[in-house]
Amino acid sequence: MTQVRDGLARTAAGLGVAAFVLAAALWGSTATAHADTTAPPDAGPTFTIGMTNEVDSFNPFNGIEAESYEAWALMYDYMINYSAKDMSPQPGGLATSWKQSEDGLTWTFDIRTGVTWSDGVALTAKDIAYTYNRILDGGPESATWGSYLLSVTSITAPDDQTVVLELKRPNATLPLLPMPIVPEHIWKDVSEKDVKTYSNEPSGGQPVVGSGPFQLVEGKAGGSTYRFVRNPDYWAGEPHMGEVDMQVYRSEDTLVQALKAGEIDFAEGVTPLQVKSLQGESGITAQEGDSPGFDEIAFNVGSVDLKTGKPLGDPNPAVLDRRFRFALNFAINRQQLATKAYQGAAIPAGNIIPPAYKPWQWDSPADAYAYDPAKARQLLDEAGFKVGGDGWRTLPNGDPIGKLRLFARTDSETSLSTMAFFKEWLKDVQVDSTVVAVESSKLTNIILDGEFDTFSWGWYVEPDPDSILSYFTCAQRGGWSDSWYCNPEYDRLYKEQNSSTVDTERQAIVKQMLQMLYDDAPYLNTVYNQIGEAYRSDRWEGFVPQPDPGGILLFQYGHANYLNVRPVDLSSGGSSSGNGIDGAQVIALGVSGIVLFIGGGLLGSWAGYRRASVDFRE
Amino acid sequence: MSAAEATGPRPLSSRQVTWRRRRASAGRTWRQFRQHAPGVIGLVVLVFFALVAIFAPLIADSTGLSRTQSTGQVLAAPTSQYWLGTDEFGRPVLTLLIWGARVSLLVGLLATLISMVLGTLIGIASGFLGGRIGGLLYRLTEWFLVIPFLPLALVLATLLGGSLYTIGFVIGVTSWPGTALLIRSQTLSIKARPYMERARVLGAGNWHQMSKHVLPNVMPMVFANTTLTVAGAILAETTLSFLGFGDPSRVSWGTMLDSAFSNGALTLGAWWFLFPPGICVVLVVLSFTLVGQALEEIFNPRLRQR
Amino acid sequence: MSHTIDLTAFDSEDAPAAPPSDEPSRPSRAASWRWFFRKLAGSTATLAFVVVVNFFLFRVINSHPERTLARGRAKTPEQIQAVIDKYGLADPLPQQFLVYLKNIVTLDFGDSYQYSQSVRSLMLDRLWPTLVLVGTSTILSIVIGLWIGTIAAWHRGRKFDTISTTGTITLYSMPEWWLGLILFSVFATGLGPIPRLFPIGKLRSAGIDPWSLDGVIDQAWHLVLPVLTLTLAYLAEYSLIMRSALLDEMGEDYLQTARAKGLRDALVRRRHASRNALLPVVTLVSLNLGFIVSGAITVETVFSIPGLGLLTTDALRIPDIPMLQGTFFVFSAAVVLANLVSNLLYGLLDPRVRV
Repeated sequence: MTQVRDGLARTAAGLGVAAFVLAAALWGSTATAHADTTAPPDAGPTFTIGMTNEVDSFNPFNGIEAESYEAWALMYDYMINYSAKDMSPQPGGLATSWKQSEDGLTWTFDIRTGVTWSDGVALTAKDIAYTYNRILDGGPESATWGSYLLSVTSITAPDDQTVVLELKRPNATLPLLPMPIVPEHIWKDVSEKDVKTYSNEPSGGQPVVGSGPFQLVEGKAGGSTYRFVRNPDYWAGEPHMGEVDMQVYRSEDTLVQALKAGEIDFAEGVTPLQVKSLQGESGITAQEGDSPGFDEIAFNVGSVDLKTGKPLGDPNPAVLDRRFRFALNFAINRQQLATKAYQGAAIPAGNIIPPAYKPWQWDSPADAYAYDPAKARQLLDEAGFKVGGDGWRTLPNGDPIGKLRLFARTDSETSLSTMAFFKEWLKDVQVDSTVVAVESSKLTNIILDGEFDTFSWGWYVEPDPDSILSYFTCAQRGGWSDSWYCNPEYDRLYKEQNSSTVDTERQAIVKQMLQMLYDDAPYLNTVYNQIGEAYRSDRWEGFVPQPDPGGILLFQYGHANYLNVRPVDLSSGGSSSGNGIDGAQVIALGVSGIVLFIGGGLLGSWAGYRRASVDFRE
Repeated sequence: MSAAEATGPRPLSSRQVTWRRRRASAGRTWRQFRQHAPGVIGLVVLVFFALVAIFAPLIADSTGLSRTQSTGQVLAAPTSQYWLGTDEFGRPVLTLLIWGARVSLLVGLLATLISMVLGTLIGIASGFLGGRIGGLLYRLTEWFLVIPFLPLALVLATLLGGSLYTIGFVIGVTSWPGTALLIRSQTLSIKARPYMERARVLGAGNWHQMSKHVLPNVMPMVFANTTLTVAGAILAETTLSFLGFGDPSRVSWGTMLDSAFSNGALTLGAWWFLFPPGICVVLVVLSFTLVGQALEEIFNPRLRQR
Repeated sequence: MSHTIDLTAFDSEDAPAAPPSDEPSRPSRAASWRWFFRKLAGSTATLAFVVVVNFFLFRVINSHPERTLARGRAKTPEQIQAVIDKYGLADPLPQQFLVYLKNIVTLDFGDSYQYSQSVRSLMLDRLWPTLVLVGTSTILSIVIGLWIGTIAAWHRGRKFDTISTTGTITLYSMPEWWLGLILFSVFATGLGPIPRLFPIGKLRSAGIDPWSLDGVIDQAWHLVLPVLTLTLAYLAEYSLIMRSALLDEMGEDYLQTARAKGLRDALVRRRHASRNALLPVVTLVSLNLGFIVSGAITVETVFSIPGLGLLTTDALRIPDIPMLQGTFFVFSAAVVLANLVSNLLYGLLDPRVRV
């Protein structure tokens, strides 16, 4: 009797579980389909961006990741706007126009009227002056943004429509002011001490107060989903997207699958191979966008203890020699690097100024970056690095060079490949080397301790060349400088261009500095970066690349594309909503199939077990 | 040591007797093992992979590992020239797989060596010595057992840098506590046996008892446990590499899976890059497990009765 | 690694060197209390050890926290000095240690270097996905694993046993994240004739209230594949252990007696063998938490689930020391607690150990 009841109970339980799973599965599938199709009609469609990194802080004074900058761009406004062509500052932000005094020491900005914060309070010049003053008076706020206000002595708002910057000496980088403007009436309650941990996230269902085209309604730093809802009263016009969602995926693969499945509309940071494969997909547009940045092989030009002036670390004497570094410029094949290490998603680089910033570009001689190992060998011979008895080159004094340490970053495939190639090219010119792979954070320490010969890394370059040029000044050693380059003549030119108020004059000086960097070769620039991006072109249109043409589509300077992009007119095609329901039915069928299969298997095995147990007893 | 002298000098022939006895017992073990079908299958697979790893330079040209000299298309499907297709640098996946066997097995063995030595020493010492030292060692074992393995290994890998040897070391020093506990309990039961009592009464010191009586008795268990530890160590290497904490300058099955995942093998439908390394890992780990279980059954009399 | 843990090891501390007497005698109440406090003290000591080692371990990893804190931003000497002062990095080590201890007592792990927020609040946000993922899979794998193990043992050498043992050993030899990748590529992206059945990773769809009915279903829908992956990965070990523990028990005399008395199979199995075989399994469940944490880290990576595991690996890359101290403490405390509970449970089930 027990036996029978036992069996029945088991069968019932099994069927119950199967039924539950089936029901949940069907329900789930319809629920997702439901969520896809029925948003309130007046809310506007949702634009979902997939990316592979988190926002590290919604507080504009804390975050440093590109994703955070993008979030601030949605939430806030800037005083200036950027051209799509070359990112040069232009009116169209909160400032409608500006002028500079004759001596270059006073900048006056005229501020737009009728702009309000999302809580209804008016946005005036006072908010701008408040934000800038928070940065100017030091503390955590200055860590990210302080360098844009160099030599600024005071920032005032004489009335609601005017902001005035007073300078100690002329500053050529103005009006490059990429700081988001925050509301004074909210931030005055955040003390300097608390700003370091102020999260600036929605709380209690209240969105964060901002003035940008969208408002942050959901999201936490380090979280994986962020939601921004349209600001219907945005002064530059209501965005076409009702909502912008950001979803973080842990790998490019998942990201692209989500794009193909239609779970996201835009994928940021797609691998080159994926871009190629996506270019064949209908309804998806994929491209490699020029990004204003470069990668380089950097040398230890001479690390010193900044307090005592004594040499620091253990650089190989060879890399300290200008002629050695310069000769290697001809030993590296930038074209091969771009096609193989970067799988085609890069442009062979000359120097530190990306092609988009044309006015600042140095017109280098045609063969300045040519791949010419014979020339490299000849230059090394001339510099006294002769080939020794063992087939490797020696130092001019006859001592062996030994193995150069080539540091690559474990978290960057391209850096590992670059160094693998560099090692073989060095071998071609009879220089022995070994690749050492370390984490980026560890490499920072190694660089600051001067315990390296060369490493591979890259920089992002701002629309104004000032900051990237500053990284080669003596004062930046131990700070931003990673090559320990120090040349008094270069420093003099740097100061000169920074105070120059005439563009053409300044450009001439910058070109002189670029020539100097080429000759001294603290860096061998390898490639200009490209970023893979893909979007559902069957749903969205109107992207304007930056720089135009060939540039990236999102994660630009400013938030222009969040206003440009609009849904594709569905009345012509109109098949996408039907797909959702089809998908749901397919899912339901598939799941029922699996459940039946598993259930059948379980029942079968149970039956087998019953039989077996009968055998066993007899 | 003095303890050894206390038992009196032994004639040479006695050692020969011991050796003969050991040889005989090894032969017995082998005969028992041969009857254990899954164990034998596992052993055959292992021998195959070991041969592949040892003779890798003869089977596959090492230039196939070079990122700069690769000749194939990028992530190309299998062809008659590239039996298992190519990876994201156009290198033949089969070559990577063969050379990867070397790294994976080497790391597994290195880690196991460290783990077994540590585990056996600490296990015997903590079981035998008792008192404060034994207690402290037990606490240490327990701490290592309590700290989740993977995060600890990741921390150590970050600290020491990702090279083949450091990865092996990291896995070794994080995976010994299981062995130590096992050996400790064995030691405790051996310590309670009557002949140990006799040895103590005869004046044998701690060192003598541990090295002459306890160690030989736990050795079979150590041996059986070793194969299981290798299985775990290879899995651990694969996992560390998959999370990007492996040796980036060498190809292992784990780093292959990592680059397959991060280069979008799924999107590109590059199954030849995703499946073979995984299958190799499963085969090798499975074989080690089968061999280990067979040995355990032979050495552990309690299990043998079944 | 917990993979290689052998069960015979675990009765070691409680079972004294002498073989247990055949006549189990109930320990006195006082002895039971003593036993309880000894267990409690042992766990506390282990946890204290964890806390101390955490402090030093992470200081070794990152000898220049101020560089990490500056994180590549403008670094004038004044700014670096400000950072050093703010975080008390120049204080003598003993003083830093005391501050650290004081904070741990209040479960305050400081502010994350990476996210500029308190580690505690960040961890609380990430706790839920990990708990759901790991909890569901653990329960499912225990239930299914024990069921398979019991049947396999009871019908040793028969078809069910052969198939299930082969299957579970294979699963046991598989990196769980690889299994996840395979399941992902088949069921989430669709392969050949198989349609796309489940969402592409993540915990939930955007814009759905996670606490509404739709939200709960949506989350369940997202969790199917990761939970399936972990369940398959975990159940292998449970079923193998249950099988061998049960086989062990079945060799015991009393079972032969029970059968000789004419008790039916199911009854013998339930009343005697299974209950006793459960003892080592209880221990395994708690000890397996370390392995479970590993699974959470890798499966969260494959399926992009924002849980504690991902928080840890991200923190390692920075390295975000306060965050690492926090997650390590939570992981270890969970294992210590689980161990304590299982030890106490063991004592309840088998009074012999309470001596």
